[in-house]
Amino acid sequence: MAGRRVLITGVGSYLGTLLAARLEEDPSFERIVGLDTRAPRRQLGRTELIEADIRDPSIAPLIAGAEVDTVVHNSIVRQPGPGMSARAMHDINVIGSLQLLSACGQSPTIRAIVIRGSAGIYGSEPHAPQFFGEEMTRMFPLRTRFQRDVGEIENYFETYSRRHPEITCTMLRYQPAIGPSLATQITRYLSQPACPTYLGFDPRIQLVHEADALDSLVAAIKRPVRGAVNVAARGTIGLARMIRMAHRPMLPIVGPLFGPVTDVGRRLGFDSYSDDFRRLLRYGRGVDITRLEQEVGHRPRYSTTEAVRDWVAAA
Amino acid sequence: MSDAGALAFMRRLREGLDAGLELPEALSRGAAALPRDARDTLERVLRRLEGEHEDDEWGFDEDFTDLVEPFFGFLYDRWWRVKVEGAHRVPAHGRALLASNHAGILPWDATMISVALTREHPLPRHPRFLVLNWAFDLPWVSALIRKVGGVVASPYNALRLLEQDHLVAVFPEGVKGTGKPFAERYRLQRFGRGGFVEIALRAGAPIVPVAVVGSEEIYPKLADVPAVARVIGAPFFPVTPTFPWLGPLGVVPLPSRWRIEFCEPIDTARYGPDAAGDRSLVLELTEQVRDTVQQAVYANLLRRGSAFV
Repeated sequence: MAGRRVLITGVGSYLGTLLAARLEEDPSFERIVGLDTRAPRRQLGRTELIEADIRDPSIAPLIAGAEVDTVVHNSIVRQPGPGMSARAMHDINVIGSLQLLSACGQSPTIRAIVIRGSAGIYGSEPHAPQFFGEEMTRMFPLRTRFQRDVGEIENYFETYSRRHPEITCTMLRYQPAIGPSLATQITRYLSQPACPTYLGFDPRIQLVHEADALDSLVAAIKRPVRGAVNVAARGTIGLARMIRMAHRPMLPIVGPLFGPVTDVGRRLGFDSYSDDFRRLLRYGRGVDITRLEQEVGHRPRYSTTEAVRDWVAAA
Repeated sequence: MSDAGALAFMRRLREGLDAGLELPEALSRGAAALPRDARDTLERVLRRLEGEHEDDEWGFDEDFTDLVEPFFGFLYDRWWRVKVEGAHRVPAHGRALLASNHAGILPWDATMISVALTREHPLPRHPRFLVLNWAFDLPWVSALIRKVGGVVASPYNALRLLEQDHLVAVFPEGVKGTGKPFAERYRLQRFGRGGFVEIALRAGAPIVPVAVVGSEEIYPKLADVPAVARVIGAPFFPVTPTFPWLGPLGVVPLPSRWRIEFCEPIDTARYGPDAAGDRSLVLELTEQVRDTVQQAVYANLLRRGSAFV
């Protein structure tokens, strides 16, 4: 096979920039195109940057013109950051993915699409099996806004994949990431003066280390497989133990008061908690990573405990 | 712990705190005055406060299970005076499925099976048990059950545990077993649709029928108040001689005498994993397990004699 030509959306995100830099080092990737409205986090070499918004239909000719064989969709927003409304997040996630897929349909060179999705689609449920397999997305109703967004993206994606059997579509379902250079909801949570928890609950949390998050993405680009693949570290960790390892005091709050108390915290300038994150803190979530290890061929280097330890050591 | 040891411990603890030490440090300094086993326990607790203990991917925490063992040991030896037969019939290694009768809304019978295996088995092992989903909505109960080896009663969990060569305990009567009135005690309910047999077949795990006698008397359920059950989301709301009359004290189980018998294992590996789809075989094996447990329950009831003394 001649050199691979890859387009990365969301190249301005931390992981997007790292991915472009990683692919630049690999001579088997002939061409790397980065698409984003933001600049990359650091100076990139041979990556060609296109400044465009994936919500805009005008990306179709740009993507066709890039003549790539693989599209990596890395612009799914996990939680609205400062200055981004819930509405804007929904637009980027759902409308953006829809535009991107329709643009891909107009580019005859494309052979593979890899989406960095979220394991949030499984939800956090008290009655769930302790490890979700890829086929278990319809066990529980989609309860939060983000879950419904991801559900919609997955639906488009499945339909697209059925209609275009010549294109290998991979949906990577990521557990929350942690790592020394990341700022995610979980790292902000563990950096607070005290960590609010649900009184009487100690859920199992499963994370993915930033290095494994990147390596899984690279592995999926090199070896695309059809359908969904869970991406996570091996094993889980109890929430209480994680907070102790981060040397933070726990702040247990009675279930019904958790919302009001954290809302007051938000007004006082502490981090806000999305519905997904609240449910995660109450019920936790684990996924099965057999498919990632055996079919995509990436064995995570960090277990969840080791990932937390690595973050604590660097913090 | 001797009184002198305890006093010396308290004295050192106070000296440490007076000298401006943090509590964990003061505790560990005071621990030097304690006898060896108490010191070990204290050091373990301190280590846990630093997050330096292991739990496996299921949330099972062996360290914690060992720490709470004395409590269950007390129930086992003194409160229920459990007698065990046939513990050696449980395979010493590899996967196996324990299928037991079930009573009482709290899974005391599961904990006693667990203590029985760690005490009486030649190669002690901690069983994992499938627990009614409802327990995982509850604060404290959910966290505690998971730490001592309980998992949500899902076939996916059971299969994964067996594939990892664990010993898995199931209660095929499910909620029908826990909610039956006192008058129907020791009469086994229907064993569902035999889902546990399907899983055992698929995993090639032997099924060990287990009969527990005594668990039916700990919370004699005289009546049910479905209206209250609906409000709190419970499968049923039992009325026993002590509950809800005595409030939280009503949760204290009555001190009946217990017997646990592990019966001869039923081999499933010879049918092969595809047999899991064979309805008639599954139902036949389900019936065989149910019969074995029921017979053993009756036999042990006779052997036990009176229920409480």
